[in-house]
Amino acid sequence: MRDNIVYGLGIAAAAVLAWNTYAIAGLPDEVNQGAVFKIIFFHVPMWAAAGVAVSVALIASALFLITRNFAFDAAAVASTEVGVCFLSAGLATGSIWGRQIWGIWWTWDARLTSALLCWILYAGYLMLRRAVEEPTQRATFAAIFNIFAFLDVPIVFFSIKWWRTQHPQPVFWGNGSFPKDWTQHFLYNMAAMVALGVVMTVLRFRQEEVQREIDAVRRTVHAF
Amino acid sequence: MYLLLAQITQDDLQREALRLQHDYQFLTYGLIAAWVILAVYVMTMIGRQKKLKREIESLRVMVDEKQASGSTR
Repeated sequence: MRDNIVYGLGIAAAAVLAWNTYAIAGLPDEVNQGAVFKIIFFHVPMWAAAGVAVSVALIASALFLITRNFAFDAAAVASTEVGVCFLSAGLATGSIWGRQIWGIWWTWDARLTSALLCWILYAGYLMLRRAVEEPTQRATFAAIFNIFAFLDVPIVFFSIKWWRTQHPQPVFWGNGSFPKDWTQHFLYNMAAMVALGVVMTVLRFRQEEVQREIDAVRRTVHAF
Repeated sequence: MYLLLAQITQDDLQREALRLQHDYQFLTYGLIAAWVILAVYVMTMIGRQKKLKREIESLRVMVDEKQASGSTR
């Protein structure tokens, strides 16, 4: 992707998020939960961005195993790292919301436990990459582990449907409802957060590619 | 309506004010946590970019040295 497009998308996403934060602050408080409910405008889009990132990582990992092209390995590590960043932010915002609404920071229900497990698995993926020296072996192990880690993602997504959880049911595909103008702000945040994730993934992907080229040149120089 | 309003005590008002204050406090904590995590990751990426530039520079020096030692042989 061209530099102008990447940076332009990043600036546009940041601008939409900044404007939307201001707009959301002006919305009336939710009847039952009050102002703290507004965390949902950031919490859910962050999880959506994380979901997109780990899905890209899954596809890239599978493509690496099929083609052995290291560009897919770079794409997998870039999107997983961005995914872990959004997962961390999603867990943190959810926990803060829970403290005010439930009176507890954490509970071991199916959604929260599977979400934490998801974070641990992807953080484990990043640690695994540091543990293996040889590039081909590292990329292969990491790709297999990434596919394994993704098994938890549908469990996180559907846990609130499959089990009775403390976590609320989804607003959009459950029995909840959202006023039209709130939905608009929510979708803006969703799009902006995913766009931000795309920009971060592209930039991180480039870094990974440059690092691989540096390592290759260094090996060649040492060989002579 | 007026009867209901008449039942509101000073304590009720204080409790409601405290709840509102806590709501905004936790909303602020949530937003700060989210942005701090994203900002830390962006800072990490900037740091990694600087490290890559340093590595390219050291590699350039290494290649120049190898070429110089190769041409003197």
